[in-house]
Amino acid sequence: MDASALVRDTIYRSTILLDQQRWEEWLAHCDDRFEYAIRAFSPEINKDVTYLALDRDGLASLLKLLPKHNTDHSPLSRHTSVYTVDVDEAAKSAKAVSSVIVYQTLLDGINSHVDAGESRLFIVGKYLDTLKIEDDKAKFLSREVRIENRRLDKGSHWPI
Amino acid sequence: MAAKNHRQWLAEPNLKRSEWVDSRIYSDQEIFEEELANIFKKTWIPVCHESELPKAYDFRTVSIAREPVIVARGPDNEIRAFLNVCPHRGMIIERRPSGSFLEGSPSGNPKRMTCMFHAWQYDMRGNCVYISREKEGYQERLCKEDVGLRRLRCEVKFGGFVWVNLDDSPKVSLEDWAGPAFECLRKSLEAEPLEVFHYHKAIVNANYKLWHDTNCEFYHDFMHYHNRVTGFNDAYFARKNEAFDHGHVVVGTFEVNYDKYEGFESRAALSFPHLPPNQWYMIDLFPGMNFNLRGSAFRCDIVTPLAPDKVMIEYRGLGLKRDTAEERRTRINHHNSIWGPFGRNLHEDLIGVQGQGTTMAPGAEPRRILQGRHEDQTIHDENGMRHYYKEWGRWMNRTPSEPESPFVEQVSVAAE
Repeated sequence: MDASALVRDTIYRSTILLDQQRWEEWLAHCDDRFEYAIRAFSPEINKDVTYLALDRDGLASLLKLLPKHNTDHSPLSRHTSVYTVDVDEAAKSAKAVSSVIVYQTLLDGINSHVDAGESRLFIVGKYLDTLKIEDDKAKFLSREVRIENRRLDKGSHWPI
Repeated sequence: MAAKNHRQWLAEPNLKRSEWVDSRIYSDQEIFEEELANIFKKTWIPVCHESELPKAYDFRTVSIAREPVIVARGPDNEIRAFLNVCPHRGMIIERRPSGSFLEGSPSGNPKRMTCMFHAWQYDMRGNCVYISREKEGYQERLCKEDVGLRRLRCEVKFGGFVWVNLDDSPKVSLEDWAGPAFECLRKSLEAEPLEVFHYHKAIVNANYKLWHDTNCEFYHDFMHYHNRVTGFNDAYFARKNEAFDHGHVVVGTFEVNYDKYEGFESRAALSFPHLPPNQWYMIDLFPGMNFNLRGSAFRCDIVTPLAPDKVMIEYRGLGLKRDTAEERRTRINHHNSIWGPFGRNLHEDLIGVQGQGTTMAPGAEPRRILQGRHEDQTIHDENGMRHYYKEWGRWMNRTPSEPESPFVEQVSVAAE
């Protein structure tokens, strides 16, 4: 598989792992130096805003403690389309831009009798990824989830 | 006692009437309309922060009780508020959430608020300065001087928040309204300029007072794993809820042990000025605003009621304007870890209030919502809510536990 295809494959596989909440397996696709952030531009305050920013250890702690927290368990489905992959062969790395649309299929978030089973648009944005390529494997060095929404209602305990 | 039949379920509990409210105050359309008219159109509402319009000709648009409002900074650096409504045909003048009037618009000139519809233009003081084809249409009957914008009372106060009152003759000044409640944080918030770094909004199917209730009572900390492990100790349980005139409540401080939660760190190094390390004060203002300083990060919630069972909550995070990039990053992380839309606590709070909204939908059977805990006005005492609803009763002339009855002022109970 060429480097560009490898990057696309890694992004798509990681999408499935996130959807299935296989957090440990998702983290296995992330380098030890991995940096994760969810950001948006807010025209309300005319600034970039950061909604979450964690390194790999921080993410691992967050995910480990999920069972301790009360959570809306409505599953998220990420529809990812990789738009561009720019490989830097000398640096053995690549940058990728993907569109991501996240749907939330309601389970226990509101009134489950009425709402459970309904899918709603939750997030509109892009994945801005940097990956390293070594030994025919691609690992995430960073992911910025650049979202358009500033209306986030209940938000989420989960990485996007 | 075992589960109850309907008659038993409706029976009054062994509590005073001031220790519960009727759930209809969270769902009734008529009560909601009265709240907009009697409370939200007559009280001081913080609509944004001055750092959101830092330069001359910057503006922000908001709304209070369905009335669109525009806040603009003039060339004299004064921030003024107006109804965002053109006096000609009722068009909303500015549609963007924020921006600058320094540049012209397709219908108008630079440095003017221009109604795009028919190109009427206003200066930063709200004076009408241009009516298209004025003389041809109105001859001598109507001129620019007759049709200025509706100006609103507006002050910048308590750490740089922009406060607006739709009432030209408010019952009390802003200082008298909120000054005593802000006293605990005034030195910290006014030592130097603050700056907004966070904004997001939630719209949830619940009454606005349910959100404010959540901010007024800390008994719900049992819902928050984070607060249990970082807080539950003798100092936490000794925190006082202090009631202030006009329905406001201040939750006293204690030292939070942030490092008890895996992955979190002490916030001592970035404490706000004059605030001891890792302290946490909270101010709940009637009718639904919250100011919350957890050591290094300052949060403000502003509610905009949309319907009896629907509220928009705007969340802001603030730091010091002079923060270095590194300090700001750390402050933002401290803010987000608990209060961001992907943080640990806010999500849980919103699930809680949404769950209440679900059981109190308009038309659901009225029920009693208890607020009868007495613990010497400490953190799990529900005196904050009782204090709030006494004020609500005064403004609405309704008894919260029996909303069809007029409010009767009770002699203050010592514990309140």
